[in-house]
Amino acid sequence: MSLLSSVALAAALALPHAEAAPQKGGSLTIWWFQWAPADGLQELGKEFEKETGIAVKVQQIPLASYQDKVFLEFGASKTQFDILIGDSQWIGRGASKGLYVDLTDWLKTVTNLETIHPRAARYLCEYPEGSGKWFAAPAETDAVGIAYRKDWFEDAAEKAAFQKKFGRELTVPKTWDEFKQVAQFFQRPDQKRFGCAMPTSRAYDGLTMGFQNVLWSFGGAWRDEKSFKVKGFLDTPATAQAVEFFRELIALGPKGSGNLDYGEVLEAFSNGSTAILVNYFAFFPGIQAKFGDKVGFAVLPAGKAGRVAALGGQGMSISTRVPKEQQELAKKFIAWFLQKKVQEQWITKPAGFTANTEILRSEEFRKKAPYNGPFVDSIETMRDFWNVPVFNELLAVTQRYLGMAVDGEMPVMEALSKLAEEKEQILREAGLLE
Amino acid sequence: MKILQGAVVVLYALFALLPLLWLGITSIKDRDAAISPHAKVIPVLTAPNDPTSVGFVPQLDAFRGLSEVHAGAHASFWEHVTSSVVIGFVSTAASVLLGAACAYGFSRYRIGGAKDWLFFILSTRFMPPLAVVIPVLLMYRKLELPGTHLGLIILYTVFNLSLSVWLMKGFIDEIPKAFEEAAFVDGYTRFDAFWRIIVPQSATGMAVTGVFCLISAWNEYGFAMTLNSSSAVTVPAYFAGLQGNIEGMPWPQVAAGALVFVAPVAVLTFLVRKHLLRGVTFGTIKQ
Amino acid sequence: MERSRGGLGRFAFVGPTLVLLIAFNLFPLLYNVVLSFTNAELVGDGWKWIGGRNYERVFTDARFGAAVRRTAWFVFCAVGLELGIGFATALALQAFTRVRAVLVTALLIPMMLSPAVMGLFWNLILNGNHGITNQTLDALSLPQPQWLTDREWKLFSVILIDVWMWTPFLMLISMAGLAAIPKTLYEAAEVDRASRWTVFRRVTLPLVAPYLGLAVLLRFTDALKQFDLVMATQGPNDTSTQTLSTLLYQVTFRDGKVGLGSAYACVILVLVIALATVFTRYLETIQRRTA
Repeated sequence: MSLLSSVALAAALALPHAEAAPQKGGSLTIWWFQWAPADGLQELGKEFEKETGIAVKVQQIPLASYQDKVFLEFGASKTQFDILIGDSQWIGRGASKGLYVDLTDWLKTVTNLETIHPRAARYLCEYPEGSGKWFAAPAETDAVGIAYRKDWFEDAAEKAAFQKKFGRELTVPKTWDEFKQVAQFFQRPDQKRFGCAMPTSRAYDGLTMGFQNVLWSFGGAWRDEKSFKVKGFLDTPATAQAVEFFRELIALGPKGSGNLDYGEVLEAFSNGSTAILVNYFAFFPGIQAKFGDKVGFAVLPAGKAGRVAALGGQGMSISTRVPKEQQELAKKFIAWFLQKKVQEQWITKPAGFTANTEILRSEEFRKKAPYNGPFVDSIETMRDFWNVPVFNELLAVTQRYLGMAVDGEMPVMEALSKLAEEKEQILREAGLLE
Repeated sequence: MKILQGAVVVLYALFALLPLLWLGITSIKDRDAAISPHAKVIPVLTAPNDPTSVGFVPQLDAFRGLSEVHAGAHASFWEHVTSSVVIGFVSTAASVLLGAACAYGFSRYRIGGAKDWLFFILSTRFMPPLAVVIPVLLMYRKLELPGTHLGLIILYTVFNLSLSVWLMKGFIDEIPKAFEEAAFVDGYTRFDAFWRIIVPQSATGMAVTGVFCLISAWNEYGFAMTLNSSSAVTVPAYFAGLQGNIEGMPWPQVAAGALVFVAPVAVLTFLVRKHLLRGVTFGTIKQ
Repeated sequence: MERSRGGLGRFAFVGPTLVLLIAFNLFPLLYNVVLSFTNAELVGDGWKWIGGRNYERVFTDARFGAAVRRTAWFVFCAVGLELGIGFATALALQAFTRVRAVLVTALLIPMMLSPAVMGLFWNLILNGNHGITNQTLDALSLPQPQWLTDREWKLFSVILIDVWMWTPFLMLISMAGLAAIPKTLYEAAEVDRASRWTVFRRVTLPLVAPYLGLAVLLRFTDALKQFDLVMATQGPNDTSTQTLSTLLYQVTFRDGKVGLGSAYACVILVLVIALATVFTRYLETIQRRTA
């Protein structure tokens, strides 16, 4: 009896779910992780509601637990989100497990696919890459760039000292060698001043994402782009060199730089102690707002293989685990969002970045904010990590072996060849490699 | 000797209490002061000019911020507290009542293999939640229980039964049987006796047991994060979710929230301080 | 009236609890065993029987062996330090009978806190750059370990936080043990002019031992499950801090491999159940000795 009554009580308490009152035109729930662009999307959602009567709610979930929560939801018979703004790397899992609605035939009826930047299409929207099968529309198109303390770079005394020490002018680094030199120059722990901060966290993907910035421009690779072969592509001298170089950069950061998540990287820069920040463009509007003209922005430096920006950003996908009517509402929103006039609004929102080529090419966009120019220049060179269904296992082993190499727990080459071995094993088991 | 003893006590007290003090100090800072490269330790009235100063201007914004739907969440901190309260209190009530009934059964009836049953009950406490959560999750999905208060209430009720049965058995064993025997003469049934004699007689025991059940439900994280990841989220799961916040942690809010969340537990601990030992040892040590 | 036999009545009292425990403990265990022979995934339905393949993976996985050793090391260090510090503090507190009650209540607070919440906050305290610990060490010109980022220190930091949380537990039980020693024994020792050390070794230690044993046992089973603090400080995939529980989390919830995760869970459960059986029996002995 006590059981029955307490269960009944519990049920009574549990039933009224935190659900919004039903809207006339219906309502849409979008999930994204917590950051400034999601606030911007919520603002746009209000506009959409004004026009259509369909309410939009953007739920923001912290990044570290975002993926876990999303895939737990997908395990249920119905997801709480209608639209998922999923990380670019998830698209393989979403597409091949039937979690994301296939948008291929529909999308071209509502927008000109030509206006979506091909790199964004390839990495954020299509699965497999470049197959022309669309499972997402671009939501936030993002890449890694650098933010630097302009006031330090332009300080006369600093300039003179730099000139004296290195025999060249103190400028925003164009190559990784220059980058290292500048970071070395500003690395003054006794003054609580540091050279550079980059993501290196082990908890999820930080280290891998941070390392990619160096990897490709050094001529290294994760794999063969076509065959998915890893051995002979990852365990190469170029990749090893990139790891060694990355280790040197870590030493030129605040104490404890070997394990910083995105937020901690941002903290290291925003507490005014670090000269250069390597992070996603989506954070730069916030930095600009805080530091004003004390900061400048630039593209990532180039290595011997040129300049490559690691991709950030996410596409919008529709959950297959919601009723058809909800999927239709979701389509309405996506079609609305992709219109040029809405995209033009999107880029005025906090940290909204677009994949719309017409906007990207306009001089007006470049001039609008100091980070826009570098952003446009970065998007042309974007590349991404694995996005196959088993990407998570690939990521987990990458984080482990890369971590051991960076920490000096295992010789770099040994770590890379073990990593290549394990990656091929995972790919073979998933049937992606012969 | 006394000096040595004093030194040990002082050192340990510093180790135990300084982190709590820091929690308090952080909760009255702004975010810049919380992550400043120069330690900000002492609250001062006017903002110091020197950025390397140890002074900071205290403020209560972090506490006010708790009622906002802060970035990083889709509900305000208080909504998570509400979930924790509902789940914590209902499951505690259920655990205590079920546990008391079960303990009464073991205390007053002759039950075959009673000892083995009692040890089975205790051994359920040793299971790592992560090792049983997969089947529970799959089971719950069929019943549409993930993400509901009810789901966690049932689980916490069950999880705390071991504690509840063992503690309540100790308390009920101490109640003289003479009380019930007198009642049976008056025509009471076993149930009457349980409700009208045992429950009131063991009120203190039930309160103590309740506090310990509540504390473990209040602080539980493994089940909470895997089963209720997106709705009916309790405070520990909410806080843990903030980790890796891509825009940096809102430290003052975290500290303020932690203080608010800790307060009821600290008060309850104080109230049952005489029975603490019994509570933490499953009633093995009675003092 | 003799202890009644009452058939149904008996079940009415004891039954609901047992049914719930069986439904939520025994049943999941069996279900786990079934799942461990399949390739079930977190997302998507259909399973296939794949025989013992998952178990093969478990026993060839270097991560698993490492996690077993790391968890054992963690338990050993954490519980050992907690025992040492807790018992020492309890002994030291004997000298301060007047302030003891207040002080002890304050000292107990850490163990009442949520590890998930406090673990998170410790990230700020131990931050290598703007954490108060290193800022203090810096001010004192002492070396500053990278608590959360140096692989030599990461696990130690988790141990440190665990010690912070749970030393009060050992202290509390030690105090109970010390208080239970009859004064007459000490008086007798004084008459014999026994040295302090002899009294400690011959009287205090043997009489407190069952209490310490009980405390260590309860902490041991808890520490074995270590999950919250590791998740709060390093996440589930860090090579220096991955414990059995976090490995399980990584496999099941990150990689989404429910079948494989269940195999890990079964192996871990066999270990835990074996230990738990030993312990519950030991508990019985202790209970008799402290009664």
